[in-house]
Amino acid sequence: MIDVLIIGGGIAGLETACSLQDLGYETVIVEKEKTIGGHLNDWDTLFPTHRSAAEVLEHYTEETRKRALTIYLNTYVISIKKQNDGIFEVQTSRDVVFHCKSVVLASGYQLFNAERKEEYGYKIYDNVLTSADLEKRLKNLQGEFTTPTGVTPKRIAFIHCVGSRDEKSGNHYCSKLCCVTAVKQAIHMKQLCPQADVFCCYMDLRMYGPGFEEMYREAQEKYHVQFIRGRLSEVAENANGSLQLKVEDTLAARPSRLQVDMLVLMVGMETAKSTELFAQSCGLECASNRFVKTKDHHIGSNQTNVDGIFTAGASIGPLSVFDTVNHAKSAAFAVNDYLKAMK
Amino acid sequence: MNLEGKKQIWSSYQKDIAEDNYYYARSCIRQNFYPASEVTFLRILREELGKNIFDDPNHTTCTGIGYHSDIVPFDTIQTVIARHFALMTEAGLENIAISCVTSFGMYTEILDLWEHFPEQLEKIREYLYKATKREFNVPKNIAHTSDIIYKFREEIAQKAKYKLINKETGEPLRVVEHIGCHYAKMFPTKGVGGAEFPQVLSGMIESWGGNVVDYPERRHCCGFGFRNYLIQANRGYSVSNTKKKLESMKPFKPDFIVANCPGCAMFMDKWQYTLAEMEGVTYDENGYGIPVLTYEEMAGLVLGYNPWDLGLQTHQVQCESLLDKIGIEYDPKAKYLDKNGNQLPIPESPMNLKV
Amino acid sequence: MDYVAELEKDIRFQEALHSCLNCGVCSAICPAAEFYNYDPRMIVTTVQRRNNDEIERLLKSNTIWYCGQCMSCKTRCPRGNTAGMIIQALRLLSQKCGFFTESEKGRQQYGLKKTIGESILKYGYCVHPILVKPELHPEQGVIWEWVVQNQDAVFDRLGANLYKDGAGAMRKIHQKNLDELAEIFKVTGGDDFYNLIEEDSKKKAKEMNMSTDENNNEYLMHVLTYNSNEHQD
Repeated sequence: MIDVLIIGGGIAGLETACSLQDLGYETVIVEKEKTIGGHLNDWDTLFPTHRSAAEVLEHYTEETRKRALTIYLNTYVISIKKQNDGIFEVQTSRDVVFHCKSVVLASGYQLFNAERKEEYGYKIYDNVLTSADLEKRLKNLQGEFTTPTGVTPKRIAFIHCVGSRDEKSGNHYCSKLCCVTAVKQAIHMKQLCPQADVFCCYMDLRMYGPGFEEMYREAQEKYHVQFIRGRLSEVAENANGSLQLKVEDTLAARPSRLQVDMLVLMVGMETAKSTELFAQSCGLECASNRFVKTKDHHIGSNQTNVDGIFTAGASIGPLSVFDTVNHAKSAAFAVNDYLKAMK
Repeated sequence: MNLEGKKQIWSSYQKDIAEDNYYYARSCIRQNFYPASEVTFLRILREELGKNIFDDPNHTTCTGIGYHSDIVPFDTIQTVIARHFALMTEAGLENIAISCVTSFGMYTEILDLWEHFPEQLEKIREYLYKATKREFNVPKNIAHTSDIIYKFREEIAQKAKYKLINKETGEPLRVVEHIGCHYAKMFPTKGVGGAEFPQVLSGMIESWGGNVVDYPERRHCCGFGFRNYLIQANRGYSVSNTKKKLESMKPFKPDFIVANCPGCAMFMDKWQYTLAEMEGVTYDENGYGIPVLTYEEMAGLVLGYNPWDLGLQTHQVQCESLLDKIGIEYDPKAKYLDKNGNQLPIPESPMNLKV
Repeated sequence: MDYVAELEKDIRFQEALHSCLNCGVCSAICPAAEFYNYDPRMIVTTVQRRNNDEIERLLKSNTIWYCGQCMSCKTRCPRGNTAGMIIQALRLLSQKCGFFTESEKGRQQYGLKKTIGESILKYGYCVHPILVKPELHPEQGVIWEWVVQNQDAVFDRLGANLYKDGAGAMRKIHQKNLDELAEIFKVTGGDDFYNLIEEDSKKKAKEMNMSTDENNNEYLMHVLTYNSNEHQD
């Protein structure tokens, strides 16, 4: 009998698994992708220190290897059923049925599909990227940085809140990490293209974490990133492939047009489709933002409405690497309490 | 510009458009400035497509211009539109075809309102009965008249005599489309292709051989702005906004503009004249201006109708350069003849805009 | 008067104002904001504050009359607000309270009533060749002048049915249909509203020492053509 089945092999799942294994429990991870590490695989550097994402990933690969964790790759969960004896029966895509005493949802998030924000022209205008596209571009960068059409950018804009705080996109909530990611990427672009003017169009800058405000200040003072308080209204392509943005500078209360060579859309986080798939099968409650609802917002953020099913990381909402690792650690303690009580 | 991305969006905004049997709702502006376009629409539906469409002498304005000028109360316009529904119902029809973008927006808004506030619908039923003793069903299907041409664009392509192709170079014509704000900006799902990349005109242009050219101010208002044009003192707003569009499309060298909304067509035509006379500027390379067509005129040209039957002689920006580009045969001498072939006086020439 | 309470009675206001997060997507694409000292976001903010004095100032100002009713703001608002519809509610209230005659742009309502408003009831359509007089519409150009000068022949050539019985473009609207329109206006408050605009405007004309006689309507010509070019409020 498995003690804990962990859904998701990103940093949340790996951290929880390592901690639980160290506490002496038999754990199994199921991961839908062909590798562990989740979104971190696609990321170049992490805020606020600009350290390489690969470094963090390496740490977890090493910890996983040391403990010889059991991981099923290319496997996704179809349903979870709690039996009368309190044991969970977990059906997966692999014809493997797991029986386990507890389940940890470390199924994370997915990025907002920017095509849904039609007026921004993603996948229509070549020089419109998402924050994730930019990370990939930076990660694979060889030589000089150019836009997708091969131009050395002279003007770059970052657009905050794409698919966040936007009921028209179906997401009313704040994704909270896009602001700080934008500032990080803006600095990165200034380092690569010092001649470029870099703009951040934001509604409210949410620099909530340690080191964030300092990074924002550095972006202003050292890198001269320009912050415009206004949400992008629409994008169009000029005859030469550059882009025209319409945005109000709300502090000046004037509409303005901004011409840029490259536009980066800071896409928000949504609950993973894969979570929605199995959430229904076990009567898991979701919040109005469609992420898994925690049992108690303040003192039970790893528990759910189903006893024995726990959460770790961004399955409960947008979380940074910092917060994810902490949440995953506390998930291990919550599971430990539950399993001890079960005996 | 990546067309695949647009196609992705288009696929999620395909609306139901009735096959046949329409009640025709005329447009104040279209019949005034483009009467031949309304004639052409009916001709295409009846003669080319074999459809049944009822042109009802009892129809009136929807009062939309008055409503958006804030002199006609909301209940009043709802009741006037309810009367049109009653006329449609009395004619045994269930589908309404609306020739005006603002009317289309109003009809759509009112049906949406009645769905959310059923007590409002009941109030309007009472008003209409009290005023006219008429009763009505809400239409099963509402379409802008361009939706119907869009729906049958391939049938029209098959009957076409001409294509939107430059005869000399064999290249597709570069066409700029203008949709009109009230078509889909208020209710994106009610317009073919949605609000951001409407397909209603793009679909026609592509089916008939042309290329759609996007330009940065494509979505911007034509500059009508109701009270901002209707009151002479405010027309600076109107011409400035049109100018913004013309300047923005100029670098793309469009062969012509096609408009969904009759007012937009008129403003983009007439303000080119004003700007030429006031400032000496034109937005083509040769000083003639960019021809502006209604979609009925575009369809009529493709089908080989006589340009003077289509009313192109009443445009301020002359269309002959376009006709020549496509290779359309026409009789220059017949341009200013009346119905019986008698010569009418020749209009004056503008000072700056070449004709 | 409690203006907020009055506004909230307007079904359009109920639909158009939830809460505003001041993001500016409406102002960024607003044609009126580009041309005038106008910002739809600020209108929403003012109304959202629910301060009666501020709203009264708005109702008496030029500001609410700049919007061109293109409704581009409706497409974009991330909270589903529509500044253009809040404007409609404000304009209605401004007229109901008689405040519209206090601003230059507000006074123009009289011009709209006299032209478009009366055309609806007289001809059955908002626009008519008779209304688009070349002398008042120089921008319509020399071809339109030619159309008007040769009106019957040109409309006839184009297949219209100008001022004649039967169906077709620009036909004469039968009296029974005009009667129905008039009755609808009477029953639904359209008539009362026209009268209200007329009466308040006449009062204002008197105050400004201008005549409103049918044959020499100085006030009408004034509101149609006067532009102080000072639109700071």
